[in-house]
Amino acid sequence: MNCKQAGLFLSGATLLLSLPACNGIFEDIYDMPTSETGNEYGFIVVDEKTRRGRIYIDATDYTEWHYIDLQGKRVTTTPVGDAAPETWDFAIHRYDTKTNGAEVWESSASVFDDLPALGIVSEEQWIADEWTTDRITVDMSQMMDGVILYAEDYWNPCLSRWLDVNTSTMPPVYTLSGKIYLLRLNNGTYAALRLTNFMNDAAIKGYMTIDYLYPVE
Amino acid sequence: MKQLVLSLFGLLFTLQTQAQYKISGTVSDAAGRPLVGATVTVKELPTLGAVADTEGRYKIELPDKNTYTLCASFVGYESVSEKIAADQSGPLNFRLAERSTMLDQVVVTATRTPKLLKDVPIVTRVISEADIKQVDATHVGDLLQSELPGIEFSYSMNQQVSLNMSGFGGNSVLFLVDGERLAGETLDNVDYSRLNMDNVGRIEIVKGAVSSLYGSNAIGGVVNIISRESREPWSINLNGRYGAHNEQRYGGSVGFNQGRFNSMTNVQYTSIDAIDLSKGTDNAEVGDYSTIYGNSSFNVKERLIVTAAEGLRFTARAGYFFRERDASESIRDRYRSFSGGLKGNWAITQSDDLELSYAFDQYDKSDYLVPTSRDVRDYSNVQHTLRTLYNHTFSGKHILTVGGDYLRDYLMSYQFTDNGSHTQHTADAFAQFDWNPHRRFNLIAGLRFDHFSAANLSHLSPKLGVMYKVANCSLRASYAGGFRAPTLKEMYMDFYMGNIFMIYGNPELKAESSHNFSLSAEYLKGQHNFTVTGFYNLVDNRITTVWIQELEGQIYTTMSPLQVAGAEANASGRYACGISWRVSYAYTREMIKRGQPLLSSTRPHAATARLAYNKQWKNYGLNVSLSGRWLSRVTCDVYTEVTSYEETVRQTYPGYTIWKLSLTQHLWRGMDLTLAVDNLFNYRPDYYYSNSPTTIGTTCSVGLSLNIEQFFKNK
Repeated sequence: MNCKQAGLFLSGATLLLSLPACNGIFEDIYDMPTSETGNEYGFIVVDEKTRRGRIYIDATDYTEWHYIDLQGKRVTTTPVGDAAPETWDFAIHRYDTKTNGAEVWESSASVFDDLPALGIVSEEQWIADEWTTDRITVDMSQMMDGVILYAEDYWNPCLSRWLDVNTSTMPPVYTLSGKIYLLRLNNGTYAALRLTNFMNDAAIKGYMTIDYLYPVE
Repeated sequence: MKQLVLSLFGLLFTLQTQAQYKISGTVSDAAGRPLVGATVTVKELPTLGAVADTEGRYKIELPDKNTYTLCASFVGYESVSEKIAADQSGPLNFRLAERSTMLDQVVVTATRTPKLLKDVPIVTRVISEADIKQVDATHVGDLLQSELPGIEFSYSMNQQVSLNMSGFGGNSVLFLVDGERLAGETLDNVDYSRLNMDNVGRIEIVKGAVSSLYGSNAIGGVVNIISRESREPWSINLNGRYGAHNEQRYGGSVGFNQGRFNSMTNVQYTSIDAIDLSKGTDNAEVGDYSTIYGNSSFNVKERLIVTAAEGLRFTARAGYFFRERDASESIRDRYRSFSGGLKGNWAITQSDDLELSYAFDQYDKSDYLVPTSRDVRDYSNVQHTLRTLYNHTFSGKHILTVGGDYLRDYLMSYQFTDNGSHTQHTADAFAQFDWNPHRRFNLIAGLRFDHFSAANLSHLSPKLGVMYKVANCSLRASYAGGFRAPTLKEMYMDFYMGNIFMIYGNPELKAESSHNFSLSAEYLKGQHNFTVTGFYNLVDNRITTVWIQELEGQIYTTMSPLQVAGAEANASGRYACGISWRVSYAYTREMIKRGQPLLSSTRPHAATARLAYNKQWKNYGLNVSLSGRWLSRVTCDVYTEVTSYEETVRQTYPGYTIWKLSLTQHLWRGMDLTLAVDNLFNYRPDYYYSNSPTTIGTTCSVGLSLNIEQFFKNK
């Protein structure tokens, strides 16, 4: 009996020891982060036929503005305080926005096909940029101690509503408006923008994904 | 044993008696489960009796139709007597309640060998299955806070749960499930919501250092959750509970115990909506948090025990856990674990037994990004453990225990450079001798050697404990060494915290170490039990983060020694009328080097209390329980700035008292209905600190449990 018991026990032990050591199971149930599938920034999707596309910007750095030229399909990054490039339509800094002399209207549409005719927007509904001294954060290193440094700059209060950041609770609550914003550019053309995401796959905030329709006809 | 012999003798005797009439019925516990081997004796005829069979049934043939008193008894349970009338014709069923003292309970955690609680030389606290039911807890945090003073679960950053047990944090208290560690941590705490109370037989808590048996992390104590085995031929349980904030809990289990096979499968789902704390206070500034995140969880586990041959038993288990936390509209935090294990127990001879096991545990964290519907993993801790344990008993009473473990610990984390990974191997060997030279005296000594590959660190952990029994009193004294090896996270972190500052790991860290002294006296008189315990801990090389200006960030390093001393007192009683009570009090005092800040917020005084009434009738049972916990205010130091550890200010957190009233009715066979009122006296904090209870006032809950197999039993 003891031999049989010993045999059974050793069989069990062998089975245990032969199990392969590995770094885990069920890896496939997760999505691969884009950092492992290759990152691209700028105008990552451009469809000339439908005039639509997608812009992806690494806006994690508090000290940078990213200037977007919709006609030239170009994104130019400069430090806060430096001069803007010669041609640009709107710019983003983290979640903040400003325009190159444009005005913005917030529609209730969430897809481009639902955009109303341009004519329904009355003149007073277009909102221009305003000069701010406490919006453009450039130094958050002492934020935990209540010290935040700002740069003075223009800021568009309407387009910046595309993401609401409620800092009254910790951690802050981020809410995408999901709405499409119409820009009446200074060259007389119109653009439609929608912020679809503000994070990368690692949930790091400041990676902005913007869908656009330009020009709006 | 004497009762058993008497009963068997009685059985034989009844065969020869001229039977006048038969009385039969069942003996079960409070939940209706059969108590196999329980004895039923006749008070007036000491030689007459019966032993309950595998379904808890008994049958006695009485010599005449006089009035007799039948008494049912079972180890660990209160005996119950019933008078039978001369014309008694139906079945006479007994439901026995567990004894409050639990001294006949077999425990394993303090010695890693099965011993009666009253014979364990190291102070061990047991929370029984009956206690768990009375508390109506969903997971281990609710239960421990309700049952033990000096345990507090609060929130750390980002509403992650953080433990304080008599001055020790989550990384200094080792949580085990059937002796196995849990992979994964968040801010130094394991995921306590993995530890649901479904299918838990009992919980054993050993406070103080236990590293001589369990190695790293067992500085402040060990909490071992022991699963329940299926006792009935087959069983099906369905249960549900609904409470405030749309809190829902649904569970079910299927078990069988047939021949060589014993299986139990459990499934549980829980969910709760976000809690708006502004409804709980009139203060415009609600607190550190204004909303507690809603969350849901799903937990399934299976355990199969196969008795392959006499003395040879294999246990296989597997489990899956999923939790989702609604951290924001854009991100849902997801936590998963996959676990499994195989264990063989071989009773080689009457004096020798061997255990060999393999355990696998994986704990993952991922972010479900709502805008893109992508579920991206950024943390995975995978642990493979091999264990062996051998016991030899000398002269039937002295036990030598030797064993060894190997652990492969893999950690991938967003807190490492480029979401990288690190792996380390740990190995240990230990020996313990449990010497019982006299029935009144017990001495236990142990030593363990641990080695960690990542830090190339070795550590020796000793233990010495003595127990002396005199009259109704048991005196215990022990010394134990504890330690905690630096984790892979603490050694290799390279993390840009919230895009604000860096936190760096430190590969040069030493192990935290502790010396723990404990003295206790236990007194048992009738239905009363009194225990007093005093303890002292000296903890050195405590690992923490400090701000380094040159690095413009934090780095892990060691800090000043901490002394933690305290005392605990516990008194309980249980009476035949069904009333029981328990009062526990804990005093904890932390002392640090003069001039150093004392940052932990351990409350100096804490108490728990419970008054219960439990009565079973023929077709109805009632359990009313009033339980409360009281925590004193505490004042500690907090840094004035996160990015400069220069100045501190004194911060006082208010004390509070919370009471809960629950009523469980055993309505019909296996049907139990529980109604509970939580926060009975409507306590509402003025300001919600991270260690305030997350209540917004008095709330109610209702629960229903159905033991289907009992519907089909002949009663």
